[in-house]
Amino acid sequence: MVSVAEMSEITSPTVVNQTAPMPNPANPKVERGMIEIEQLDFAYGTNKVLHDINLSIPARAVTAFIGPSGCGKTTLLRCLNRMNDLIDSARITQGSIRIEGVDINASSVDVVDLRRRVGMVFQKSNPFPKSIYDNVAYGLRIAGTTKRTLIDEAVEKSLRSAALWDEVKDRLHVSGYGLSGGQQQRLCIARALAVEPEIVLMDEPCSALDPIATAKVEELIRQLKEQYTIVIVTHNMQQAGRCSDHTAFFYLGRLIEFDDTTKIFSNPGQRQTEEYITGRFG
Amino acid sequence: MEGVADPRTLIPERTKSRRAQVVIEQAIKAFFGGNALVAVIVLALITIFLFREGFGFFGQNLANLRLYRQAGLEYVDIIRGNAAQHESLSRKLSEIRLREVRVMEKRNVPLEEINAALAPFDQFASAFSDTAENLHGLVSDLTDQASALKEQLFARAELLAQRNQLERSGAQTEAEKIVVPEVDRAAALARLREGSARFESVSAEITAKLYNLLAQAPAMPDPAGQKHFEQWKTRARKYLAGLPAASEKLRTWSPDTPIPWYRSISSFLFGRDWVTASFWQDWYGIIPLLVGSVLVSIVALVIAVPLGVASAIYVSEIASRHEKRLIKPYIEFISAIPSVVLGFFGIAVVGQAVRAASQSHFFKWVSFFPISERLNIFTAGCLLALMAVPTIFTLSEDALRNVPRGFKEASYALGANRLQTIARVLVPASLSGIVSAILLGLGRVIGETMVVLLCAGNRIAIPDFTQGLGAIFQPVHTMTGIIAQEMGEVVRGSTHYRALFMVGLVLFTITLAINYLAQKFVARYRMSIG
Amino acid sequence: MTATASNSRRVHLVQGILFWIFRLATYFVLACATYIFLDIGIKGSRTVFTSTPPFINVPFLTEPPQTLYVFDYEGKKMALSDRQFRQWKVEHPGTEVEASSIAYSAGGIWPCIVGTALLVIGSMILALGIGISSAIYLSEYSRNGPLIRLVRIAILNLAGVPSIVFGLFGFGLFVIFFGWNVSLIAGWFTLGLMVLPAIITASEESLRAVPQGLREGSLALGASKWQTIRKNVLPYAMPGILTSSILGIARVAGETAPIMFTAAYAMKDELPWQVTRMTDFFFQGVMALPYHIYVVSSKIPQNEYTERVQYGSAFVFLFLVMLIALTSIILRERSRSRLSW
Ligand SMILES: Nc1ncnc2c1ncn2[C@@H]1O[C@H](COP(=O)(O)OP(=O)(O)OP(=O)(O)O)[C@@H](O)[C@H]1O
Ligand SMILES: [Mg+2]
Repeated sequence: MVSVAEMSEITSPTVVNQTAPMPNPANPKVERGMIEIEQLDFAYGTNKVLHDINLSIPARAVTAFIGPSGCGKTTLLRCLNRMNDLIDSARITQGSIRIEGVDINASSVDVVDLRRRVGMVFQKSNPFPKSIYDNVAYGLRIAGTTKRTLIDEAVEKSLRSAALWDEVKDRLHVSGYGLSGGQQQRLCIARALAVEPEIVLMDEPCSALDPIATAKVEELIRQLKEQYTIVIVTHNMQQAGRCSDHTAFFYLGRLIEFDDTTKIFSNPGQRQTEEYITGRFG
Repeated sequence: MEGVADPRTLIPERTKSRRAQVVIEQAIKAFFGGNALVAVIVLALITIFLFREGFGFFGQNLANLRLYRQAGLEYVDIIRGNAAQHESLSRKLSEIRLREVRVMEKRNVPLEEINAALAPFDQFASAFSDTAENLHGLVSDLTDQASALKEQLFARAELLAQRNQLERSGAQTEAEKIVVPEVDRAAALARLREGSARFESVSAEITAKLYNLLAQAPAMPDPAGQKHFEQWKTRARKYLAGLPAASEKLRTWSPDTPIPWYRSISSFLFGRDWVTASFWQDWYGIIPLLVGSVLVSIVALVIAVPLGVASAIYVSEIASRHEKRLIKPYIEFISAIPSVVLGFFGIAVVGQAVRAASQSHFFKWVSFFPISERLNIFTAGCLLALMAVPTIFTLSEDALRNVPRGFKEASYALGANRLQTIARVLVPASLSGIVSAILLGLGRVIGETMVVLLCAGNRIAIPDFTQGLGAIFQPVHTMTGIIAQEMGEVVRGSTHYRALFMVGLVLFTITLAINYLAQKFVARYRMSIG
Repeated sequence: MTATASNSRRVHLVQGILFWIFRLATYFVLACATYIFLDIGIKGSRTVFTSTPPFINVPFLTEPPQTLYVFDYEGKKMALSDRQFRQWKVEHPGTEVEASSIAYSAGGIWPCIVGTALLVIGSMILALGIGISSAIYLSEYSRNGPLIRLVRIAILNLAGVPSIVFGLFGFGLFVIFFGWNVSLIAGWFTLGLMVLPAIITASEESLRAVPQGLREGSLALGASKWQTIRKNVLPYAMPGILTSSILGIARVAGETAPIMFTAAYAMKDELPWQVTRMTDFFFQGVMALPYHIYVVSSKIPQNEYTERVQYGSAFVFLFLVMLIALTSIILRERSRSRLSW
């Protein structure tokens, strides 16, 4: 019998010499914050929604997932921090996902650790029914930080980097529900940044925002890529063009094309990609 | 596995405490899971226990029925049936007399004249009941014989069971100490069956006397009375014609005809008598209780459904915001009134009121008024209606309120007024929800104990439906009531004890079925509103 | 044109009449309930309240029930409680009176209040402990397989099983099979199991009403399952759980049928804590208010002497149960307006 963990090691040779999670100069293939998806098949019950995805998401860059509705972008994104574990029928039927060379679905990986390092901002903003301060401090307190000053600092820092600080600094202790939709979304971003993840997954973070708030979030994304690996799902082509470095185009559960954003938008390799980008899709 | 990285290295510095945390997490999950398991097991146990205790009933009841035949009780009851018919005919005669007296009183005939006019009839009636004297004597003789035999057989069976028990547990010497007396059943039965001949002579005597009597029956002073009397005569002739058949039955009766096993079930499910702790024979027929429960529930629902649904429509569609905010909690508040308080209120106030109303002039035209019992189906039904209204109201109101706004707006947009919108759009759309509310109300009513125990009158009898609607003013006993009343006094493991468990099981099944149906309707409602 | 006008006037009239019928039906229901409240409230308050300070009939609330003796003496009608009657006899040696005795009609209802409180506390601890934990397991941990669905349906259906059936079960299993006799502990288990399905169902519903987004948001921040439940699910489900628990209390306190032959005595002289050994505490029967009301309304006649205790007990009991129910209704209305996603 070969256990799942062992199997993943057999199929993923890069793991074999991996000894440290930190950037490993001896092994340039493994870099802090990089994600490798290999031959991934995924199904909800009997409904297969992802087919044979092979994708290597580079570290410290913004990668955009685009594609028509229902093609599996959210599903793939949720695979990256194992959010799909929560759905009873959801299963990875084949393939592996490695972050920094470690198979995240191995039985020995602690899913709580994984999620701490791979933060997520959801398609529908979901602030907790707590104060703004408590929303941001939540992740830290969960991780065991009790020192008030530390938390205060972290809250301010993350609210600043989410470009929300100036708007809320006078009402940190009112409910997060009192914020506007756009502010709520930025609050969720701040909340995700507060625990200092290495990877941030964003599922259509701007779908409910006005152009000004969108601009703020986009600006934020551009700043964040200095420190974080960012994966963003978007339906907005301009947005993908503006703020991503790489773009992956999905169609009906398959990865059609993955390349530099400039290349995808100026000279796509596939006809389907071109039709989708130019809006001639049908 | 050599050289393989520790996959935990995602955050290496926290590994140890994380491991402890994982253990704690597992423990918490196990704790909750354990509790859920306990809950499920205990609730399953209830069901199993009910069934275990209930199903034991059938074996014991079969033994009970067999003893009834083997000890000759059945034989005696054939004769008793005839005696009962005779008595019922006697009763009918006095009813006819009573009616006659009333008619004449209305015509302001003085009492002496009435008595004089009815003297021949009275003579006839007393002669009629005298004819049964020997029959009653025969019945009481045979009753004594048969119950003595039954007693002996029963005692013997008990001792045998005791001895077997001891033998099985290995106490041989003690087992042998128990002397099981022999019962000469054949001889006793033979003596009993001499009753056949006696019955034949008695019935010949009755037949002769009665035909004689009937031939010279007096005429009634009043034509309507005469009609009733003629009807009675036909019945009397029928009774006489049936006597030879009874003789025949007695002759062919055999104590050894086997009783099939299913009789034990059918005598429970279709039996029309519930007689317990009787010196003669116990019967466990659920029909009178079931009929009682059903009638009480019907009365309750007939009152509660219109009120509940109407108030639900009123509150959800017609009432102003302020009314709504007051009425809704108030009606929900009603559902919290403890049933025993309602029952007490029924005894103290409603029962009296119902009887007083039935005596009032206002209701003179109602044929079955005034009523004699203040605690009856109707009294209990009224109170149960008050318990059912909140259930029906709350759930119907929910169903009406959750109909999507779009339905309503579409109707208004087509120029329909509020009434039309309610009748054509809202009620149809929420109909399955309302039906489910009514079903749950029924479930609540049929399972209610204290109100029926206190207010339904507790007479174990199927109401006399010949009175038409008057039947709902008669006292009944119910399934819940009988359990509450008799459970405290039964011997554990006795047939009676198990019979009560069977009643509980029937109740359990009925309420489960009602609940299940209600859920089906809820599901359909959800589908219909999308 | 006029035809349509008269037609529409007729439609309007019909609508008006029907609406009035609906309104009357609604107010009829309210009036009936109000009548009950008033009848019991007014007649009961004659027993429970007094016209002199302290305005509350303290003896009625703090004494055990006693037998009432009614007799004629020197042309006066005397109605004395058991104790008073004995004293009276001592004071009037040699006088022979023909006293008719009416059980339970003198004294108060203190042991019944105590018994009901004990029954409610014990059974609710049992039911809430097991019920809420089970609900948490079912809604948060269990995978939604066919088995769990079956369990859920079974529990939902059991919530509708009549209380007398639970009483029957409790009598058969606890009182007889386990040999606990008529006792507090048998009552606890019977009542606890009776409300268990309702509590599980209602608590699970409250838990499921918490949006999935809150759980996901918390988990995505690296919270463990239990941290998520404790910090981000339970607090928001708590008002709902609390409401259903309080309703459960009202139900447990108000039920008579299940305790009739598992826990309640018609008459008991000692109070529950007057026991020689600790274990006896659990294995003793108690008096209980609902059962007391059943006894005094069915086992003794209805007349001027019994009215006092009948209406008095009914009033106190109704007051207590309604207070609990009112708390739960107010709590729910409040939380409804506060927490809405
Ligand atoms: N929880 C679920 N259970 C079953 N099937 C699901 C579930 N979530 C998504 N699916 C199915 O999986 C497929 C991919 O869904 P997914 O949410 O990943 O699409 P998407 O690309 O994010 O679409 P959108 O752009 O509209 O958000 C869809 O066909 C959807 O029906
Ligand atoms: Mg999506």
